[in-house]
Amino acid sequence: MTIASKTPLTAGTKRLISLSTVLPWAFAALFLLILPVVFQTSSALTIMNQMAITIVFALSYNMLLGQGGMLSFGHAVYMGIGGFFAMHVLNMVEYQGLWLPLPLLPIIGGMFGMLFAFIIGSFSTRRAGTVFAMISLGVGELIAACSIIIVVFFGGEEGISGDRTMGPEFFGMDFASQSEVYYLTVVWLMIAAILMYLFSRTPIGRIANAVRDNEERAEFLGYSQRNVRWISFIVSGFFAGVAGSLFAVNFEILTEENLNLATSGSILLITFLGGVGFFIGPIIGAIVFTLLQTVLGLYTEIWSLYLGILFVASVMFFPGGFAGVIAMHRRPLSLGKLHLLTGPYLKVAIPAVTSILSLAAVLEILFHKRHGFAGDGAMSLYGITFDSHGYQALGLAIVIAAISLFLVSRITPEIKAAWDEANHAGDDQ
Amino acid sequence: MALFLVNILDGLVTGLLLFMLCSGLTLIFSMMGVLNFAHASFYMLGAYFAYQISTVTGFWMGLLVAPVIVGVIGALIERYGLRRVHKYGHVPELIFTFGLALLIEEVVQFFWGKSQMAYSEPLALDFAAFSIAGNSFPAYKVFMIFMAMGLFLVLLYILTKTRIGMTIQAALSYPETVQNLGHNVPLVFMCVFGVGTAMAGLAGVIAGPVLGTFPGMALQLGSIVFVTIVIGGLGSLWGALVASLIIGWLQTFAAAYNVAMEDILTAIGFTKPENIWDHPLQDLWTLTLPQIGPILPYLLMVFVLVLRPQGLMGKRET
Amino acid sequence: MTAPALELRDLSKSFGLAKIIQGVDLKVAKGERHAIIGPNGAGKSTLFNLITGKYAPTSGGVYLHGENVSGLKPFEINRRGLSRSFQITNIFPNMTVFENIRCGLLWTMGYKYSFWHMISGQQDVTEKAEEILEQINLTSRRDLLAGTLAYAEQRALEIGITIAGGADIILLDEPCAGMSHSETALIVDLIRKVTEDKTLMIVEHDMGVIFDLADKISVLVYGEIIESDVPDAVRASVKVKEAYLGTTLEDEGV
Repeated sequence: MTIASKTPLTAGTKRLISLSTVLPWAFAALFLLILPVVFQTSSALTIMNQMAITIVFALSYNMLLGQGGMLSFGHAVYMGIGGFFAMHVLNMVEYQGLWLPLPLLPIIGGMFGMLFAFIIGSFSTRRAGTVFAMISLGVGELIAACSIIIVVFFGGEEGISGDRTMGPEFFGMDFASQSEVYYLTVVWLMIAAILMYLFSRTPIGRIANAVRDNEERAEFLGYSQRNVRWISFIVSGFFAGVAGSLFAVNFEILTEENLNLATSGSILLITFLGGVGFFIGPIIGAIVFTLLQTVLGLYTEIWSLYLGILFVASVMFFPGGFAGVIAMHRRPLSLGKLHLLTGPYLKVAIPAVTSILSLAAVLEILFHKRHGFAGDGAMSLYGITFDSHGYQALGLAIVIAAISLFLVSRITPEIKAAWDEANHAGDDQ
Repeated sequence: MALFLVNILDGLVTGLLLFMLCSGLTLIFSMMGVLNFAHASFYMLGAYFAYQISTVTGFWMGLLVAPVIVGVIGALIERYGLRRVHKYGHVPELIFTFGLALLIEEVVQFFWGKSQMAYSEPLALDFAAFSIAGNSFPAYKVFMIFMAMGLFLVLLYILTKTRIGMTIQAALSYPETVQNLGHNVPLVFMCVFGVGTAMAGLAGVIAGPVLGTFPGMALQLGSIVFVTIVIGGLGSLWGALVASLIIGWLQTFAAAYNVAMEDILTAIGFTKPENIWDHPLQDLWTLTLPQIGPILPYLLMVFVLVLRPQGLMGKRET
Repeated sequence: MTAPALELRDLSKSFGLAKIIQGVDLKVAKGERHAIIGPNGAGKSTLFNLITGKYAPTSGGVYLHGENVSGLKPFEINRRGLSRSFQITNIFPNMTVFENIRCGLLWTMGYKYSFWHMISGQQDVTEKAEEILEQINLTSRRDLLAGTLAYAEQRALEIGITIAGGADIILLDEPCAGMSHSETALIVDLIRKVTEDKTLMIVEHDMGVIFDLADKISVLVYGEIIESDVPDAVRASVKVKEAYLGTTLEDEGV
């Protein structure tokens, strides 16, 4: 039977790798290359490496949550396992003369992440949803607890450390300097991100979406939902292992912390905040989270409280995360009506920022009041020094918060109206 | 033998405490389809509230009031938080309760700090109820057993003898019937969530003095609670009871009997290598039962899942 | 003689004490359009779920081209050339219409669990999907999310997904449920068009559709087939009239 396509044009153009697909990647690569020229300090490089590792990890997590509909509370296991194996291999390079250039190490870590995902996925991917989530939690806790007991492998409480510079030189690099490690990390970031992006464009990647949406229907189309999830899980385990190896290379130490629930939880948080529905979501999430952690952590002790509030608010009001909020503006943009929103946005900006800052001030003052040393009420906030135990500062913060919130609530209907208008196609178009 | 009896009782205390959490979690899960990740956080809130109240009025007022406050907070969270997320499906709901667990831990640290609270059992119960061959058994643990049993009996009565209980039971077996309830479903959901969290709060009130009242207490128990209901079978109340007791005893006995792997290995004819700390099998040789105690529940879970995916007494594999 | 495309032998299904399907024997010849009718609660949907592997039968067997498939999983039965639609629209709401159809194609076109093909580069899949979109008149909706389609369009898409894989036995579960007259007429035309040369089994309440479409009709009452014949014979059957009328009255009495 010959099929004469009625629309060969669309079919044909789809096949070529279009400029619009390649351009963002090329741009990202260029950006990553010049980044260390702008930020040269060692701490900046550390933060950027941390970011890159978190991006790989978050992307691999989103293969489960976003692409496959699997909510995992134990994804740190695969990153950690990959990292621990990578570290042992690193030590074999140092002490037993194993020949392995450092840049190839992530492949090894990835393989072990994949192996563990294969084993654990064999029983955990039978079901999605709640059951999968609970099993991932149990397995995560099991491995984290084992890491204390199996000292030979996990190194107990001190963890396992190694030295990345002991391997053979790789094109003249021995990876003693931070910037060489940076380039190693971002090359792997690009490789991993491109591969994961391509995976989402393969038949199995598309079917993973289908199983996420409607597992029953997928079964009646010839696909075993369990196998589809299992494959996604294994591939995701590989990239988690790659992230773990990059961690090993960067920090030269792995501990129980790399496996535990807190790490698994924060990758869920990062991915969700970034936006699970979009490929770019976890990338945004990882960047924003790392920045928040390092910047906010400098200024306040209760930054994780803010993060918790932000997360819960995001689940309730913006389930699409940052990427979702950005994507919401695609339609107004394509309708050419984005300008309708700028006015109201500008109008709400000052009261909104004021209300956030003043509410944070209320929390900070309360916190200082409760936990400051007895007799020492002096605290400074936003450059002002005052006595946190008095009522003036707290009262002022509450009043400002109330006024600014009131203003925000007055402007909200206007934004909503502008939003409706901006999203209205206008039937004449 | 005497030690054995003491351990039976200790394990019973742990098991029943677990069950107080698991029963509420199971109720909520069966009715609403939501696995409340923050369940242990409500348990923690119970302990903290009871502590705060007890500093003013003593233990007993805390016992009465704290669970009610926790229940009200739970109901409000259901009404204004969970219900909003409900329309997105179960996975977002689970993520929401996960976020809630993070947030509650932060809020607790915000108010009470990171250190352990001086929350202790009331003086009236601070004596040894009886002793078995020199091992004294505190009266407070007897009290805990009675409280948990009492709660269990009340629950059993409500489930089997009252109209609302019948409805809940129907929902336990046939989740889809909840939609056909003639009742005001959102209100029922809110109440179930409130009652479930209040039960967790009560567990926190009575466990706080024994297990310690500190910000990590939710995390410490939380994972075990989930593992327990997976082992028992999601949505099965009896399964939750059986699994709770099994895990309670498993942990108690593992902690009590110092069986060393070395003894077993030498008994079956292996010789301990010299210089054990450099040997690749050092962990195998130096392992003791108390060391692996904490991982036993998780191991059990993996075994149960591989052999019987629906859990010990679960009917549905969902 | 070749084996019938689909054969049920003494098929039974009980849920606890309730016997929903009690010993159904049925043969559907290759190329036949076979309709199942019966009052509400007769077990029509259960019968479909037994044939397609959603439920395992309590006893008896399902045979596809002579091969016993009872106890196999839905995806295994699908791979043997049987495809079904659902009474309640069952599509992939967060994927585009085009992708919905494409999902229906991938397995049978041999892509299976492939992670070494780029899907947009597979012109054969794209062309086939476009062709099916054309058949079900949804070409203009190609890039919309399936969840945003109108009800009738979703029903058409449901059928499109079902036939996409090229299965030679198609089971349609109330394809016209909840549709207006004109929409029903369109769907019936569509069904006729897409199931040409295929074996069709259809459950439907709309008698007009049934007598219009079917070569043969089986009447299922309380889990048993009381009549199985050509439309005219079924129309004339006293047994059917009695059973149908009787149960209908009973149904309303409950």
